[in-house]
Amino acid sequence: MRKFYEGGFQVTMTRREAALILGVREHTPTDKVKEAHRRVMIANHPDAGGSHYLASKINEAKDVLLGKTKGGESAF
Amino acid sequence: MAAKILANLIVMGGGILARAVVQAYRQALTNASKNGVAQEAIQNTIRRASKAMSEQEARQILGVTEETPWEEIVRKYDTLFENNAKNGSFYLQSKVHRAKECLEAVHQSKGQGPQGSSSSSTPS
Repeated sequence: MRKFYEGGFQVTMTRREAALILGVREHTPTDKVKEAHRRVMIANHPDAGGSHYLASKINEAKDVLLGKTKGGESAF
Repeated sequence: MAAKILANLIVMGGGILARAVVQAYRQALTNASKNGVAQEAIQNTIRRASKAMSEQEARQILGVTEETPWEEIVRKYDTLFENNAKNGSFYLQSKVHRAKECLEAVHQSKGQGPQGSSSSSTPS
């Protein structure tokens, strides 16, 4: 059985941490990232017993991996 | 006659110089390995990782407050742990586990206080 990761979340989220949170690789394509984000978010949804803090971390992880300043994505 | 002495001096001098250069190079290597960028990164991660989770972050991760009873904390932990085991990531599972560990320690230390209720919380 793997040993659990130590400590809390990092102060500034790195790509590496974001990839670990979503369970993907750092250079996974966008659609896989979105798929993983959806899956992990469902497991941690606040309405289903999750916490808002974790949900925000998961969202942040998706933003970090997809590159926050990526143009061409609609804001809606 | 003088040429022989001179030759000796040059050979000895050359040998001493060569040894000094080799020693200096080895010292420079160890210095670099101690102070290089890679070493700094390793030291940073060690310093960060040695910071155990704070109680506040643990409560945020599990979504509980200071008044939340221990049984509810354990229930939230079980739900989150199971959900992340099925559909989440191992990393998130670890954080949930560490959060519960942290709050458990707080709970044990509080249990020494006026309450004194010996609730051995071993989740079966």
